[in-house]
Amino acid sequence: MLKTMKQQGVVPAGRGLLGKKSGLGFFLQQLVKQRALVLMSVPFLLWLVLFKYVPLWGWTIAFQKYKPAKSFGDQTWVGLKQFKFMFSDDRFLLVLRNTLAMSLINFVLGFVTAITLAILLNELRKMAFKRVVQTISYLPHFISWVVAATIIQTVLSADGGIVNEILMGLGFIHEPILWLGEGKYFWGILGASEVWKNVGWNTIIYLAAMTTIDPAQYEAAEIDGAGRFQRIFHITLPGIRPVVIILIILNLGQILETGFEPQYLLGNGPNLDYSENLEIFILKYGMNLGNYSLSVAAGIFKTVISIVLLFSANYLSKRLGQERLF
Amino acid sequence: MKTRNKWQLGFMSLALVMGLVGCGNNTANENAATPDAGNTGNAANTQTANEPEAKPEPATFTYFNATANKDTDTNKTEIGKILEEQTGVNFKMEHLVGDLNTKIGTMIASNEYPDILQPDAAIDKVLEAGAFIPLNDLIDKYGPNIKRVYEPYFNLMKAEDGNIYFLPFSAVVGEYNPNPTIDQGAFWVQNRVLKEAGYPKIKTFDEYFNLIKDYAGKHSDEKLTGFMSLTHDWRFFATTNPPNHLAGYPNDGEVQVDMNTMDSKIYATNDGTKRWLQKLNEFNAAGLFDKSSFVDNYDQYLAKLTSGKVLGFFDYGWQVNQALQTLKTETLKNGGNDDLEYFPLPITFDANTKDQYIDPASFVNNRGVGITTSAKDPERIIKFFDSLLTDDNQKLIQWGIKGQNYEVDDKGRLYRTQEQIDKLKDNDYKRQVGIGYFEYYWPMYGQGSTFPDGNAVNPGRQPEVAQASFTPAEKDRLAKYGVQTYAEMFSKPDERPWYPAWSISLEQGSEAQIYTAKKPDVQRKYFAKIVLGAPDKFDAYWNEYVDEINKLPVADYEKTMTEEVKKKAAKIKGN
Repeated sequence: MLKTMKQQGVVPAGRGLLGKKSGLGFFLQQLVKQRALVLMSVPFLLWLVLFKYVPLWGWTIAFQKYKPAKSFGDQTWVGLKQFKFMFSDDRFLLVLRNTLAMSLINFVLGFVTAITLAILLNELRKMAFKRVVQTISYLPHFISWVVAATIIQTVLSADGGIVNEILMGLGFIHEPILWLGEGKYFWGILGASEVWKNVGWNTIIYLAAMTTIDPAQYEAAEIDGAGRFQRIFHITLPGIRPVVIILIILNLGQILETGFEPQYLLGNGPNLDYSENLEIFILKYGMNLGNYSLSVAAGIFKTVISIVLLFSANYLSKRLGQERLF
Repeated sequence: MKTRNKWQLGFMSLALVMGLVGCGNNTANENAATPDAGNTGNAANTQTANEPEAKPEPATFTYFNATANKDTDTNKTEIGKILEEQTGVNFKMEHLVGDLNTKIGTMIASNEYPDILQPDAAIDKVLEAGAFIPLNDLIDKYGPNIKRVYEPYFNLMKAEDGNIYFLPFSAVVGEYNPNPTIDQGAFWVQNRVLKEAGYPKIKTFDEYFNLIKDYAGKHSDEKLTGFMSLTHDWRFFATTNPPNHLAGYPNDGEVQVDMNTMDSKIYATNDGTKRWLQKLNEFNAAGLFDKSSFVDNYDQYLAKLTSGKVLGFFDYGWQVNQALQTLKTETLKNGGNDDLEYFPLPITFDANTKDQYIDPASFVNNRGVGITTSAKDPERIIKFFDSLLTDDNQKLIQWGIKGQNYEVDDKGRLYRTQEQIDKLKDNDYKRQVGIGYFEYYWPMYGQGSTFPDGNAVNPGRQPEVAQASFTPAEKDRLAKYGVQTYAEMFSKPDERPWYPAWSISLEQGSEAQIYTAKKPDVQRKYFAKIVLGAPDKFDAYWNEYVDEINKLPVADYEKTMTEEVKKKAAKIKGN
């Protein structure tokens, strides 16, 4: 086998030096040589298989009318009934719209604000001030959503909430607005809350990427007469581009994961049509009604979409000659 | 502390050694650890007392109660001592430490149980494991009192195989006596509103809202909220239930059940709900309704109640108790001025509708105490259970010792002096007397039972005792309405054997279940729209809402509920 391949000049895909000498024999040889590394990775492989692949068996539940007390053999099989119920439900389509909208808002705002703040921090000269800003902007990240939601509700409250007070003081409005009681404001409120909560935390990775940029480049640019903005646009931004692209690809894969807590905690009757997302739908119609099959079906749907998005983003990136995940 | 640690270490090593030696007899281990537990069940096993007159042979059984309390021997309590003198039986009571399911799971796995067991929420597991013995024959032979108390509920107590495996705690004996303080639904109004109006009799929906409107109108500079409502998460029913109560029905959940035909109809779209929403809409337009009601969470709601700015609201006593207690504490600090506290009223749409705010008696059949397969002498235990269920012993268990924990007046009414009440607030003292161990988790007359002499079985439900907790101002106010307790303001609950209909579990995936899942969402959205909208849009929004509800499987839901209600009622009546 190996010989024929070599004779025909077919070399299995591989990179660099390894590509030239490959095949089973070589693989085994390398395996023995790197046995220590291989042995060390075995537990993690097992972990991966045990926790990420074995549970996929549970996907069978989506095609059953699952009853927890019954054994696998006794379950009733219902085919695609759960999926049909899901896709024919008006509510589901609305929920999907909300999920995508909130996700895109968070996605765009998350990248823009975090990169902007990271650049601003990077340009700061006074270390003490930089530290203070960083600490303050990280802080909200460590507050649980339960507490954060209460803070947001208080700030937006119609009975003396600071937002209404300021707007009324400035004369923009004449009576307090029920910010959380109007569906159309919800996505904006959620986007702003996410930024407030996570912007500091999200800068960390960009700041780290910026430290890897060679200072000599800045010096050279400065000597060539580049101004501060030119340095940002021509050195800093291209310097962190690989990180940004990898993060975009990864985040696209999670576009249907808008989280559960903020929507659940800030959601209420009047804004329900805008705040209910997939997770809440699954909780309401799957878990709360004991319909586990529906929950699993929705989970499968999410996974499939995620994989498709991840692969397309990766493919697109590859075609455009950019960094890619795999 | 040091010595305690040593002891713990000692016990643990002992347990470890025992464990290593072999999965030995569990009870034997416990006995080895306690020097005075010389009488094991085995000793009593050989002989049972046949003659009640003869001094019964002493026996000690084990009782595991899966709730938190201090472990003890019942004969170390005053009540337990008296019971031991009567029956010769002592119980070594052990309570739950740590996780319930782990503890019960370990028992099931080892198939080693205490003689009697109260598994609390894990009762299904215990039943599934077959750990309880059937009690039917034992009750027939040795339990005339058990029969007297529980027979009306036998149908509900029987498992699918027709056997009774445990005795629940909620069998009502005698006339049902509701809680004298309102823990159920009511329209609440601030005391100062009643005071200023001169304590008028308020009975109807319109009278109630006019009263509030008048007061708010006279105090328009105080930024008062006329009415507010709780809508947060699952507590939303506090906003959807009122039209049901206003029409003279108890809290049966989503349906109004006809007393005669047991036909169950939803009221979400009926005229009552329309009238209720119309009133809220009117109040909102007049600036008297708290708009934030539809966005506030439970904590914000409670905070507003304690602010003293809210004149009225509808809710269930248990749900606002926290806020009411806070207000009471404030009152005491303010030197007894309770203007800002709330007074519960049984409001109905029409003056001649009988209110049904107070819950009828209901039977909880998934909690109880049973005798396990490990019990050495079930006969003796069932006899003990039987002896607990006499009027005299129930009085002993619930009220304590006469002259020490309660008094009897010349009319035969039981009461407690202030000193006795204060003393019993101390849980250690309550345990020392034994009330802390016997008042619950044994076969008993259920909450709200009444003795043949008219006294309440539970001291908390005896008006004389409840009244002792009222302030003089409260007593005066109640006197103005010619009553002694809040419950007397309300009508007695009619008998509704199916009650509560909301506890009926619906088949998973059925249309009826889908209805219960989707209905609140429609209401959440439209109630806000209808109430907060301009009054001239009321009818348009209302019609939109009715259309949305009618898109749901209403007919399926009503049909299922009617069937289930009938089934439950038939089971209780024993047909």
